[in-house]
Amino acid sequence: MAPIIRIESLTKKFGNLIAVDHLNLEVEEGEILGLLGPNGAGKTTAILMVATVMRPTEGTAYVGEYDIRKQPDRVRGLLGIAFQEPKMLWVSTPWDVVNWHAKVCGLSTEERKRRVKEVLNALDMWEPRRKNVHALSGGMRKRVEIAKVLIQRPKIAIVDEPTSQIDVVGKHRIWNMLLELREEGSTIILATNELYEADQLSDRVGIMHKGKLLVRDTPKKLKDSILGGDIVEIQLEKDAPVKIVEELKGLKEVVDVTQVKPTSLRLYLNRVEEVVPRIMNLFTKKNIPVTSIRMSEPSLDDVFAHYTGLTIEQAQKDSE
Amino acid sequence: MNKLLLVIERDVRIFFQYKFLIIMRAIWFVSQIALFGLIASRMINLREVPDYFRYYVGGLSVMTLYSAAVFIGFDLYEEAEHGVFEYLLSLPVSRQQLVLGRSIGGGLRSFIYVGPLIAVSLYVIGAINPISFLISLFALFLFAFGVSGMSITIAVIIKSSDRFDILMGVLDALIVRLSTAMYPLAIVQASSPLYGGIANFNPVTYAADLFRWGTGIETIITSQNPLMPLLGIIAFFGFFTFVGVVIYDKRIEGGGWQ
Repeated sequence: MAPIIRIESLTKKFGNLIAVDHLNLEVEEGEILGLLGPNGAGKTTAILMVATVMRPTEGTAYVGEYDIRKQPDRVRGLLGIAFQEPKMLWVSTPWDVVNWHAKVCGLSTEERKRRVKEVLNALDMWEPRRKNVHALSGGMRKRVEIAKVLIQRPKIAIVDEPTSQIDVVGKHRIWNMLLELREEGSTIILATNELYEADQLSDRVGIMHKGKLLVRDTPKKLKDSILGGDIVEIQLEKDAPVKIVEELKGLKEVVDVTQVKPTSLRLYLNRVEEVVPRIMNLFTKKNIPVTSIRMSEPSLDDVFAHYTGLTIEQAQKDSE
Repeated sequence: MNKLLLVIERDVRIFFQYKFLIIMRAIWFVSQIALFGLIASRMINLREVPDYFRYYVGGLSVMTLYSAAVFIGFDLYEEAEHGVFEYLLSLPVSRQQLVLGRSIGGGLRSFIYVGPLIAVSLYVIGAINPISFLISLFALFLFAFGVSGMSITIAVIIKSSDRFDILMGVLDALIVRLSTAMYPLAIVQASSPLYGGIANFNPVTYAADLFRWGTGIETIITSQNPLMPLLGIIAFFGFFTFVGVVIYDKRIEGGGWQ
């Protein structure tokens, strides 16, 4: 099946600054694609170009079958965006904002009324719907912003840091609503600098840094791509013989073995779920009782650090 | 068409949410009539102007309409500041619908706002000629749309809201002062042929003349033939609405609004 979005060498320059640098990316229909990167990585600029809000300096993108340069009206007909910063005038009310948005996106009167109520209720925004935006907290304004896309249910939803400024309970609620939106047939581009969010929601993740797309794949494959990224700590009842350490090192998935204590080993390896049963068999055969085993996978933070040499916080500071 | 109406609806709704502005403008309008109009009319005793108060009320109505229609340009800066501009550009609405809707919305809301003020004033001075009044109302509609289009065009060309504010102040001073809003053309011409020449080709003059003609205020001193100012207003509306669409489209599509 052809990808629903095809980005070809998309570039945006502001004077000497290259905000997006020859971005190539495909988004499959029905997937959640996480665009992960610190602030200033170029995620929002890339999104604004795809949404035809900003014209690219070079390259183009195809949304559905439409070229963003040649058929911007058609492109906008397929998209819905929840912006990073809530876009609303201070004199407006949440009701005004979402109701007008639903109208302009072509929802019928009945459907509009039903969905507006349903979504505002789900986001705890039904009660304050008539309050002026200036009386709302940052988190509440952010909920109104995400409500627009949830009400619209576009073919392609772009959500830019959808849960920033939102409390933990609200975050989980919005994540569930985004997953439901995908279940209902929307393709979602999720731009975020929250690693856990990208990991939890995305089918595939693209890591952006300094305007470039460094890598894209499923979160699992990205984690597996770090050599020795998985860590297994094994506690033994008696001292580990040298021979077994050598045998463990001989396994092709094992990158390194450290003897932390005579009775404790730490293994750096790949594809932990496949290797651990073999390791356990090895200890059983050698009659070395294992008292405990603890496994940890690399996080997307490790993936980001692997590809950029920086933690996401350092990268954020770098771009400021 | 439906989306065009929705863009218009949005601008009209937003304008009436600026309650402070609306109340202050209404107070300004009433005090101009009740204070300046009444007092200044006692000073003016010219053969060409038998009743300056009535003359002034007609001009003030057009001036108020002008200043209300200009307000849409300030909205654009407000929207750019709050990022609403990006939001509007991301909607499934064509750029032409967006700018045309905003131009019409800006004109319509100023007309809705100024309409009752004008009606009250006309009732007070007792000047209504129904048929010509309707023609002049139509002309004022177009005038308000034209001013909105002009304000939008200037706002998207000038990126700084401070500069826009200053320029609109200067433009207001020139365009209103060099018109027949506050004094008859004969007086302007007598003071300087250059001023008279400019006033003769000024949309505010066209609007003020047509309005006075339509309402029957001091017809002696205003245009007896409404065709010329009517054509002038249509040209003004056409130019700023359609040129505005082209300029707006070019500026925003390229990201020039940033």
